[in-house]
Formats: sequence, structure tokens, C-alpha cells
Amino acid sequence: MKTIFTTIGALVLATGMTYAQDTTLTYMSWDPTQLEVEQAAIAAFEAANPGVTVETSAMPPKDYWPRLSALAAAGDLPDVFMMSSGFVKEWAAADNLADLSGVITDVELSEYYEGATSVGLIDGKRVAFPQNWVAPVLYYNIDMFEAAGVPMPTADWTWDDFLSAAKALTIDEDNDGNVDQWGMWLYGRYAHIEPWVFRNGGRYLNDDETALDLNDEAVNALRFLTDLVNVEKVAPQPQEMEGVRQQDVMALGMAAMWVDGSWNIANVREVAGDDFRWGIAQVPMGPDATPETAAAYAWADMLSVGSNSDNAELGWAFIQHMVGAGREASDFLGGKVPAYIGIATSEDWLESDQMPANKGLLLEIGAQNVYTGFSKSWSGWRGYDSTGSSGMNGELDEVLNGRKSLDDAIAAFVLYGNDVLSR
Amino acid sequence: MQASRKVRITALIFLAPTIIGLVMFRLVPIAWSFVLSFFDWKIFDTPLFVGFNNYAHIFSSPTAHKVFLNSAYFSAIYVPGSILLALTLAVLLNNGLRSSTFFRGAFFLPYITSTVAVTLAWRWIFSTKFGLLNNFLISIGVDHPPAWLADPTWALPAVAIVSIWKDVGFYMILLLAGLQTIDPTLYEAARVDGATPMQRFFRVTVPMLTRSLFFVMILSLVRSTQTFEITYALTNGGPNRASTTLAFFVYQNAFVEFEMGYAAALSYIMCFVLGLFTLTNFYFRKRWVHED
Repeated sequence: MKTIFTTIGALVLATGMTYAQDTTLTYMSWDPTQLEVEQAAIAAFEAANPGVTVETSAMPPKDYWPRLSALAAAGDLPDVFMMSSGFVKEWAAADNLADLSGVITDVELSEYYEGATSVGLIDGKRVAFPQNWVAPVLYYNIDMFEAAGVPMPTADWTWDDFLSAAKALTIDEDNDGNVDQWGMWLYGRYAHIEPWVFRNGGRYLNDDETALDLNDEAVNALRFLTDLVNVEKVAPQPQEMEGVRQQDVMALGMAAMWVDGSWNIANVREVAGDDFRWGIAQVPMGPDATPETAAAYAWADMLSVGSNSDNAELGWAFIQHMVGAGREASDFLGGKVPAYIGIATSEDWLESDQMPANKGLLLEIGAQNVYTGFSKSWSGWRGYDSTGSSGMNGELDEVLNGRKSLDDAIAAFVLYGNDVLSR
Repeated sequence: MQASRKVRITALIFLAPTIIGLVMFRLVPIAWSFVLSFFDWKIFDTPLFVGFNNYAHIFSSPTAHKVFLNSAYFSAIYVPGSILLALTLAVLLNNGLRSSTFFRGAFFLPYITSTVAVTLAWRWIFSTKFGLLNNFLISIGVDHPPAWLADPTWALPAVAIVSIWKDVGFYMILLLAGLQTIDPTLYEAARVDGATPMQRFFRVTVPMLTRSLFFVMILSLVRSTQTFEITYALTNGGPNRASTTLAFFVYQNAFVEFEMGYAAALSYIMCFVLGLFTLTNFYFRKRWVHED
């Protein structure tokens, strides 16, 4: 008996001593607000792993990626860090991400959204695991729809239905020739454009994602969108809105509809407050789409372990903790959908007592055929963040501002994009 | 002899921290970035030697050409604009403008104020729909004032205007110091000879200020190639690269697209062009700068 106790005691001590040497696990995030929310979960992890301290740091994406890249160049990556769907392929190809293949069973995997987990699987290696995912949706102002007598958007809305609604919702109240309420708001931003393109079966890239080669469905979608401003006059030129934060245009009641990422749910709640009622809908399916080609635009925010981490096993345990059942629904702000199905489907996350009342719509989007459209150097050719005024974004804005034809803009951004992709 | 050696060693010991810092944090990175310009290096990936490919690409790229032209255009507005405005303010203050101490502080204030904070204020001023400037223009009968920051015609001049506003106080102080070194008897003599104020300005003030003007010109030329924060916060280089200048383009390549080799090559071209302009200015210096 004594031997048994001694053995058990030794095992307990050995287990307890695994991290007894004050192991520090470094964790880096691109979302300072989210990190604040995560502090409770991090404290719980530390409590469950005596001797482990999680050292956190967070900065906005424009600072995060240069910092993370510099750390990668110095061979000093954090143990665990956030990884974007847009960059995961390049980072995996550069051998910066630890291979986590085999650390999760199929049964465990089935508890997460497949569309989200598949993004971190590169060439058969699991190099990132999703914490949450997001998808662009159509935001609409219910009060404006009711006032104009327009039926609310439905899942079977066509682009013609959308256009009819946008026309009815574009109003010049005092007939002075200046529109007081726009039916729609958009500019060349990826989250404004791609949802329509992909829902029309459009693709920008060739099959091996090495060059821009727009198919007809993509061109048709771009023409439909640019015509909303230049021909139908149901949306303002982007230059008219210069000086207003793009995410505030609909929330301030200047436009009745707007397509952008689900993460903006938090912003619309904050800016619009109780000024009006609003909801979300799926971006209408395009006329050229087939069930095989139509795709929902959605992507995952993931966590990875650095390939040079001395604490890879502990890092994976931390990821499991941060993405798993132990998290609270309230940890996932606004329209960030937890990758763990059990939390995403909980009433706490669905928040049906808040606007939008139909937040569960996001779960339907996640169940569809999902396409991210990312490639290497995506931010360069697409125009994103600090390059947002150039690339495809810059050229489309020229069309929307009436300074260029769509054909010329496509020719210009394809030329530029292929140059970026060939470097 | 021994004492002299001791002095030299002591001097070296005291200078060592500065020299080591200079070599480690200035000279080595400068030299290393030159080496990098011959590599294709996505910063988080393995560098690949590509010879002169980065330079060849820059010289054949329409985007790079546009950026070089934008930079030249920006300098063409910024350098003369800064000098003329700084000179005007300096002369006004030197000639006893009422409350000159207050104005000296007021003109200098933008220079020491946070760039991002003041640029956000300028964004509001230039805003198309709710901006102070356009609402003023509409109030005086201008029907369709421009979208200053979203119109390719106006975006770069807008960045230049804000940059001039920000820096002019600094140049003004330099010129004011130069003005105060001019011997007052020269003005007396000119006055006795019947020179008008305008003649005194062009025949006495400007010639005697040429050394300060030369310094301000070189300084403003260098600063004009380094404009970054105002572009970043005001236009983000847009619309469609209309206000992207070299320093911002280097930033985009280095820290957004992480093409460090390409960004290094751009930096060295910028350095070469700037060096050429400065040398040219020094060459012509003796033709217009009056030495005592």
C-alpha cells in the first residue's frame, strides 16, 4: 500500500512539476479589445496549470503584422499568436507555424464549424485552429423599409428585388436635387464587394491562385455594383462620404442598406443605439450563380503555435482552452461567431433580445459553401488597410467616383495585381 | 607625449558609447539595408538573392513612376511654399508685428503638436459633406466644392498644405534667427540712400539672408521626401495612389506587403536622388549665397 501511495504521490508531484519551473507562455493578439475580454479565460488557464504564466500583448492589425513579421525574422515568435485566413498559407509555406496534426481527434473536430477548421489545414498539416469566424452580411434599416412600404429582405431575394428596394429607399425629401437618404452604401472595400461577387459565382483568381483572371460572373457582379452608383443612383459616390467613417454611414441613418463584415454588429449597436430598428440578411444570390458556383464569403480568425516555440505542447493546450467549450458566449463580441458549435448555438450568443434579432442567420451562412478568395500578397493586389487606397480597391473607387470606366479599372488592377503576384 | 596618448584614450572611452551606438544602430543597418536591396525577402520568409531585379522592377513599374512623379510634385509645392510662407512670417515678426511673442509661439505651435492629432482635425476641415472648408465655400456660393481628400487633383496639394502648415513655424524660427543677425546699419544706409521698403527687402534682407535660406531650402527638400505621418493619417496615399509619395510607398512595401528587399531598393533610389539634388544645390550655392 505504501508503495502505491508513494508511486501515486510521485506521479502527482511529477505532473504538478511539469510547469512548476515558472513557464512563461507568450500570446500575441491583433485585437486589444478582445484581449481584455479574454483575460478571464487566460486567468482560468493559468489557474488550471500551476506554474504557468501567460504573457499577453495586443496591438491593432496595422502594428500586429509588422511586429509579428519582425519576430519571425528574428526567430523569436510568440508561443501562441493570432493567425489570419488571409496570411495562413504564406506563413505556413515559410515554416513559421508548428504542425498540430494529430493533436485533435475527429470526434473533437466535429464540435467545430468545418468551414472554419478547414482554413487552418494547409497541405494536410493543421497549422492553425479557429477561435471564431466572421462573414459579411446585408445590414438593413427596418424603420426605413417600413416607412417606404418595402418588404424586408428575405433569403430568396434576387438582385432585382434588392435594386427595387434600393430605388424605393433612395429619397430626396425636400426635392432640392440632393438625396437625403440613400438606398445603399458601398465603396471598393473587399467586405463591400466580394460578398456579391462570390454569391454570383464570381472568382478573381486562376485555379492555382497565381494570377488574377476574372471570370464573367465576377465582371457582371462588379458592373452591377458600380451601376448602383453611376447608373441607378441609389448609392452615393464614395468621395461624398469622405470624412465619415465608412462603418458609420448606415448606422447614422444616411443609408438604408450596407454590406460589411458581421464584426460590425458591435459598432452598429453602439452608434445607432435605439435610434432605429435594424436587422441583417444574407447577401442576395446573383443571377449567374449555380448551386455549385455560389459561395458565401466567410473566414476564420485563428490561433497558431510558433514553429520555434519551446512550449508547443503547452501552446496547443492553451489554444484548446481558448477555442473550446470553456469559453463564455459573451467573450465573442458582436458578430464574431465562436468556432465551437456549442457556444455559437447557445441562446447567450444568439442574443435574440438585442438587435439584430436574427443573429442566428450567421450560422446558416457558415453552413454554406464558403470561399475566402485569399491568396499570397492579397493585401497588395486587393488594397487593404494601409494599402486600401490602391490596388483593386483604389481602381473600383475611381469607377464609383465616376472618373474611370469599369473596363479600364479592371484592366488596370489586373495588370497591377499580376505584377504583385509575380514578385 | 604620454599625456597626449592618455587624453586620446580618455576621449575614446567617453566617445565609445556614442560611436558604438552610431555603428550598431545607424551605420550597420544602413549598410545592411543596401545588401538587402539585392534580395527578394518577404520578412517572415527566407531571403533569396535576385541581383538588380528589385531596381529593374522599380524602373519599369508604372506604379513606381507615378510615386516618383507624386514625390516631385509634392516637393515642388512644399519647398517653395514653406520657404515663402516662413520668410513672410519671419519678416513680419522681425519688423515688430504687434504681440510678436504670441504670434511666434502660435506659428511654432503646429510644429510641436502631435501630427496625428492635428491631421485628424484637418480631415474634418477637408471633409466633403461636413467639413469646415466646404461648408464655408457653399455659404459663399460655391455650388459643388471639391472632395479635397478623395479627388486625385486635390489630395496631394491638400497633404502639402497641411505639411507646410505643420512645419512652417520651424523654418520661420530659423529665418528669424538669420534676420536678427543682419546689421541694422545696412538698413539705415539704404534708407539714407532713399531705398523703398521693397528695395530694402530685396537688396538688403534677401542677400544677407541667403545663408539661412540655403539651409532652410536643403532642410525642407530633405523633409519633403520624408513625408509620411500626414499622408498616412490624411489620405492613406489615396485616392488610387494620387497622394502616395516615396516614403509612404516604402512603408507600404516594407510593412504592409513585407517586401523588404524591394523597399530597401526604393530607399536607396530615394537616397540617391536626394543626394543628387543636394549636391546640385551645393554646386550652385556660391552663385547666390552671400558669404560674409
